[in-house]
Amino acid sequence: MPLTLEIVTPERKVLSETVEHVVLPSEHAGEIDILPGHIPLMTMMEPGELRYFKDGKPESIAVDKGFIRVYGDTVSVLTEAAIEVDKIDVKSLEEAQARAASAVAEAKLSDVDPAILEELETRARFAVIQKIISDKKR
Amino acid sequence: MPNTRDIRNRIRGVKNTAKITRAMQLVASSKMKRAQDRAVQRREYARLLARIIATLVDNIPEGITHPFLEEREVKKRCVLVFSTDRGLCGPLNSNLFREINRYDRHNTVFISVGRKAKQYISRTQRQLLADFPISEAAEFRELRPVVEFILERFLAQDFDAFDVLYPRFRNTLVQEPTALQMLPLVNFSERLRAYLALESLEATKDEREFIFEPKASKILEEILPRFIKQEIYRLLLDARASEHSARMVAMKAATDNAKKLTDQLTLQYNKARQAGITQEILEITAATLHS
Repeated sequence: MPLTLEIVTPERKVLSETVEHVVLPSEHAGEIDILPGHIPLMTMMEPGELRYFKDGKPESIAVDKGFIRVYGDTVSVLTEAAIEVDKIDVKSLEEAQARAASAVAEAKLSDVDPAILEELETRARFAVIQKIISDKKR
Repeated sequence: MPNTRDIRNRIRGVKNTAKITRAMQLVASSKMKRAQDRAVQRREYARLLARIIATLVDNIPEGITHPFLEEREVKKRCVLVFSTDRGLCGPLNSNLFREINRYDRHNTVFISVGRKAKQYISRTQRQLLADFPISEAAEFRELRPVVEFILERFLAQDFDAFDVLYPRFRNTLVQEPTALQMLPLVNFSERLRAYLALESLEATKDEREFIFEPKASKILEEILPRFIKQEIYRLLLDARASEHSARMVAMKAATDNAKKLTDQLTLQYNKARQAGITQEILEITAATLHS
């Protein structure tokens, strides 16, 4: 029995597919590998690379932190941001990363609202992850 | 008999007003469309979040709870009011303010979003705890400080219950002022069920024991504030959709009235003009007869 993987962000439903197995970056247990028949699990996810295998082919998605629920052979991932690796635009990413990093540095110096700072850091973090993962693929 | 020139001036004035109200109607209708689209866009996320919480709540080990879920005696209540910044949106705000009047003024504190609510609450001398301006765009990050402020105060027991009062969007013509208790989350399970009622619940039922990694209480602690933020944001977007549709309807009525008025005035103008001509002819014939 195959697994169903769904990934949802506030902007869109990134993915809803039948896959063979999923490797997730969990926050407390390191990478966890979910195969069909896994017992129900709920955990929190770290920013990183989510890999899944569809028709024997590995695919990979960059994800931000979020929540994972494995329930009845459905893996649901709820995250703030997610992007398919082959859609990562390396050039604009480098710019985005530099921009985000400088915005964070600037915000730390000036007395900025912690909520805004957190958002900037999230953006910077997500840019870095995308970079790492896409570099690895090259 | 009114002067033809006066009537003409009035017609011009009414037509100009109609042009403005018509433009406002069009602007409001496109904004309404956008507000609705945004509400729909976030629905997937909100539903998955609700589904995750529903399984969490169903499978949580005995005895684990969270301050957001615990009811306590309500000595003080806090109400967050979503009103509009600008007027010309029909009875939307006044309907909302009628609901404000239902709260006991002594043990209720208000937090306003939108200028109209702030003005009303201070004018009627109720307790206004804070006012947060939120721009037209209503980004999620604008709401975040509001929710954090409220959650902090709730945990500090500054108040024991927290409601959101907002104009609920039923359809373009109907917006109902609705008060929804957000904290503590009473009847949480039923509420989640109602939330998910639109779609089928889980496709499969998994009876095996759940693993929580880390502890269930930790996940609950992380996910509940997120749910509350998400819910309040959803209500805000709903309130915005209501505002734009109420404005659209009000402006449509104004445009129609202006058209009716122009018709009446045109009739009056034609009558006056004709009366003028008749009068002149009479005068001329009378003058010829007497010469």
